[in-house]
Amino acid sequence: MAQKKAEQHRARRANVVRSQRAASLKPFYYALALVAVVGVALIVRTARRSAATQQRQVTNVAATAAKAEGHLLGNPNAPVQILEFADFECPHCAEYATITEPDVRKRIVDAGLASYRYFDFPLGHFENSIPASEAAACAGDQNKFWEMHDKLFQGQPEWNSQATSDPKKVFARYANELGLDTDAWGKCFDSQKHMPEILANRDEGLRRHVESTPTFVIGTKQIPGAIPYDMLKAYVDTAAAQYAANAVARADSQHSPAAKKGGAAKP
Amino acid sequence: MLIALLALVGALIALYLTLYKVGVIGELVCQIGSCERVNSSRWATFLGLPVAAWGLATYVVLLGLAVAAIQGVAPRQVAWATVLVSGWAVMFSGWLTSIELFVIHAICIWCVTSATIMTLLFFASAIELRRVLRLSTD
Repeated sequence: MAQKKAEQHRARRANVVRSQRAASLKPFYYALALVAVVGVALIVRTARRSAATQQRQVTNVAATAAKAEGHLLGNPNAPVQILEFADFECPHCAEYATITEPDVRKRIVDAGLASYRYFDFPLGHFENSIPASEAAACAGDQNKFWEMHDKLFQGQPEWNSQATSDPKKVFARYANELGLDTDAWGKCFDSQKHMPEILANRDEGLRRHVESTPTFVIGTKQIPGAIPYDMLKAYVDTAAAQYAANAVARADSQHSPAAKKGGAAKP
Repeated sequence: MLIALLALVGALIALYLTLYKVGVIGELVCQIGSCERVNSSRWATFLGLPVAAWGLATYVVLLGLAVAAIQGVAPRQVAWATVLVSGWAVMFSGWLTSIELFVIHAICIWCVTSATIMTLLFFASAIELRRVLRLSTD
């Protein structure tokens, strides 16, 4: 009986100690929860702000022709022009080139909705990006710029400046795999003869205040970031609609009585 | 308590970097260093998962262990487990930081902060283990 009483007493004491301990820990758990809530709130705020900044970064630009030529794909007289400013060594550019660009080529460029121009925009911190631009331009001499462009982006991890300080070996292998005249390609690469064009392409980007890669110019919009296909197609559709509206306005002004009168009055 | 707090802060940083890696956050707030370059390199993935996700899982485990220790559950085992988990994580963080310095040649301030927190966690857990072992021998 006495033993049972002693056990009950011990159990009661243990319960009291436990509840006292839990009560003393309460402020700590509250503080921990507060830190967690504040932290999550900060992350959500940063995520929202970053999304808002990305949306705001789309700028209106004049639809002027580029002074540098870039590398053309598709019909140069297509109603819409897509300009891409990219760096061969930039991971986001590779992501766009391998995931989104095949769709863009097939469903927009091949369909005649837009022409596509690639402009080299070598960023200062990627050491192998100018040699990669040179390798692609030299392949372009043998009409295989786009084939080399695709190989460079697909194989980026094996030749980027993290992987090697001598990317020429990898580029030469690509040239061989593409069936290029490797001697001519090698001479072209070593002479750096396309450097002026590469720098002109970069200057075109600087003139347009390109700050990051990839950046796209579609019609009158300049859009930074590796945008998904649907977004790019929406910009092309908007630019095509603007082009059509402008064409109608031009035609109307040419055929209006006032225009005809003005035309007849001329000697 | 310090271990729980450090693990929570570390988990929040790892959560931020994981969300960036999976594409929820478009850009990292990175005043010092080059976070994008580090986090888009091939070393930002380990066994098919983002390194940040591994970090998040480790911090959550450490937070669980710290709460168990505060509650007084199996003190010796919990203290040993905390030292082992944080010790492994410190070595992994050290390896990642050396990759940043000597291979990528770019520093990600969030990654360095996480590595510092993990180191502090390891020292705090070692001190806690010593205390627990002393108490149990007394």
